[in-house]
Amino acid sequence: MTMTDSPPVADTALAAASPRVVGLFDALTTTDHKRIGRLWLRSGVLALLAATIVGVVLTVENSNSSADDIFGGVNNYFQYFSAYRFGLVLLVVAPLFVGLATVVVPMQVGATNIAFPRAAHGAVWLFMIGAGITVVSVAAGGGWGALDGVSSGERDAIALTLVGTALVIVSLLAASICIATTVVSLRTAGMNLLRVPLFAWSMLVATSVWLLTLPVALGNLALIYLDLRGGPGEYGTAGGSGAIYAQLGWLVEQPQVYAFAIPVLGVLGQIAPVAAGRRHAQHMVAVALIGLFGLLAVGGWSQPFFQGGNYDENFVFIVFGLFAVLPVLGSIGAATDTIAKRSADDDGGASASTGPGAGTAGAGISRLLSVHGLGAIGAALLLLAGTVAGLARVIQPWDLGGRTTTTAVMNLVLYGAVVAAIAGIWFWAPKISGRHLPAAMGRLVLLDLVAGAVLLGAADFVSGFLEAPAFGYQVAGSTAPLMAVPSDQNLIEVMNVVGAAGAVLIVLGVLGVVAALAKAARSDEPVEDNPYGGQTLEWATSSPPPSGNFSEPPERVVSEAPLLDTVRENGEEA
Amino acid sequence: MFTTGFKFFFGLGMALAGAAVFYGYTTGGNHMGPLSMGWKGGIGEHLGYSLLLGLGVTAMTVALFLVFFRDADPAAQAHYMGVEQIPANSLVTASFWPVVGAFGVGAMAIGLVLHTAVFVTGLVVCAVVAIEWLMDSWADRATGDPEANRVLRNRVMAPIEIPALGAALVAVGVLATSRILLATSKLGAVVVAGVVSVLILAVAVLFVSNRRINRNILAGSVLILAVAVLAGGVVATVTGERDFVHHDDDHVGVESEEGN
Repeated sequence: MTMTDSPPVADTALAAASPRVVGLFDALTTTDHKRIGRLWLRSGVLALLAATIVGVVLTVENSNSSADDIFGGVNNYFQYFSAYRFGLVLLVVAPLFVGLATVVVPMQVGATNIAFPRAAHGAVWLFMIGAGITVVSVAAGGGWGALDGVSSGERDAIALTLVGTALVIVSLLAASICIATTVVSLRTAGMNLLRVPLFAWSMLVATSVWLLTLPVALGNLALIYLDLRGGPGEYGTAGGSGAIYAQLGWLVEQPQVYAFAIPVLGVLGQIAPVAAGRRHAQHMVAVALIGLFGLLAVGGWSQPFFQGGNYDENFVFIVFGLFAVLPVLGSIGAATDTIAKRSADDDGGASASTGPGAGTAGAGISRLLSVHGLGAIGAALLLLAGTVAGLARVIQPWDLGGRTTTTAVMNLVLYGAVVAAIAGIWFWAPKISGRHLPAAMGRLVLLDLVAGAVLLGAADFVSGFLEAPAFGYQVAGSTAPLMAVPSDQNLIEVMNVVGAAGAVLIVLGVLGVVAALAKAARSDEPVEDNPYGGQTLEWATSSPPPSGNFSEPPERVVSEAPLLDTVRENGEEA
Repeated sequence: MFTTGFKFFFGLGMALAGAAVFYGYTTGGNHMGPLSMGWKGGIGEHLGYSLLLGLGVTAMTVALFLVFFRDADPAAQAHYMGVEQIPANSLVTASFWPVVGAFGVGAMAIGLVLHTAVFVTGLVVCAVVAIEWLMDSWADRATGDPEANRVLRNRVMAPIEIPALGAALVAVGVLATSRILLATSKLGAVVVAGVVSVLILAVAVLFVSNRRINRNILAGSVLILAVAVLAGGVVATVTGERDFVHHDDDHVGVESEEGN
């Protein structure tokens, strides 16, 4: 209705003067995107801790193929096997990026708040409720199917898991709409889409892909639910309800799993220029590559359960698998180019490097080895490893489909995303919470996480070549064999021990993250507005930002690095 | 006086109403039917006529709302607020409704699996949230002054919310109390009814006689009473009703006569 008249004049003092309330009431009623984002991040970190602990238990179980030591039965094993996979995607990676984007993206585009803040707030609570229903129902014997028959109560629990998963997906879709609309509609003057910061751009691409593909998962869930509650009852029979996981498995496999890692390229593109202390050397290329990666990550069409036959021979599936490496490699190349040009500037004494923090080569290396610098590089390399494993998986002569190679792709890609999200949390901590996170602890944590993910991914990748099936082969001994017996079981067991070591390292890393967050929460040390020489608008406001984000509206943007433009203008005036 | 929003929606409404009349006469309407909504004659093709006229009436209703609340007219709003230029209200006010809505959707999801009553409860909650959310969103943009928006919102919603909430509370209270009375013995029911009545009377007298009583104590007392009644109702429902001895009709008639 108000759109029919000229808009009223801005009064940012109103925003700054809004009363601040804290505690439970605030968490229940807030419409401030920063507080909503923090709720997402807390949920994501909590789920990360739980998922990685489940991951350790699964790998430890795998490491001893002679007995069902921990789970004691195929159904329990299958429950937690599927819970780990879907949990890592839907309860960990997606919420971490949604949380980061909810806090950072509105500031990056110069908006005073996220679009549809009440919907964004409703989404985070719906996520928590959906996640709660999912976790409780899995603990009550539910999950995404069972292989050895289920009781009536367990059927109800499975149905609850399905509706819980659906709620989680709906909440992610709602949050995606808020984030995408913010980037599309709330940009400040002069910021066309090509000038949008790379993280915001990557979130626009990622949320668009999620909006295209996650409703397909909702459709899968609806079909499964109807079959489970009113169908012929095959889901309660031995082996029958394994089809539930099979119908949803595409969510955690390539190409869809790449969709959850699109923001890794955004984090890399955002942090590399800051670490280099200069503009991104290939901003337009990076924008195009992120878009291309998004295109190759659209996975809703990939439904092996329904398409049947030898799915690994699907032409489009193979093409997506082969080409997904290129945008990742290109993005790493563009970031490297940016850093290399900075090094050349330092060597040659050129003055291309601008902005706060520009200094000597030593300072440049120091910034590169900062927590966020290390994290961004580590995350990108993990993603590269994941897409390379995905490439190997679609090479026909190797016949890696259905083997642990698929697990390697998932773990490498998703832990790459986790590392990127944690690097982002460290990087934007002054804007998220108004505090610095401990740097030394951050380096240790991120190196530990990367090392753990490499061990986990490498073990699964090698096991795949040894014909180890994706689903725990040792448990199959207690019921009907699910897959062919591996050719070299001893070597696979060694690989499983290596994988278990990696999983333990990951849990230690996550515990380190929790400890660092707890330590920072007690800190009252003042934080600079722009401690790292950031180039985008979120660094133009105070740390923590005020309600409404900016004390005065940002100036008209003329490039992708507006703060560097300001510095240059100031230099020319001087 | 007439805001731009009013002019737009009123014009749209008139155009749609005119289109409905035209459509009515060109599809078989006769006499004064299309002009009198079928009172004096036929209206022609029913669906199209109803759709166009319905949309027209809706647009005119929106127009009346706009002029009544001076929405979409910065000058009128500035006059209302006593300032020269109204400030932008960039902040969306804090609200419980998103959380309540999330719990409503959660209840629907759980109810879908476990019990229809839970599903219906969630559905009702979601419907209420939809209306409240809509009104909050409208009020947030009504003027540039959050306080004026709050007053405006309450002016529209309070006459609906307070009776509806009161009726819901009374209904829940009566239902819970009836479950308690049905679950206890005959004598127990009399005792419960007596004690609860005395308690309500005592609390009411206490509050009436002492006007300076702390609001927190007042709220706490009412909350404890409400929780006690609800908890008792839930427990009584789970326990089930006591065994009733049913008399035949003649005997009831005799009892009734004796009673008279």
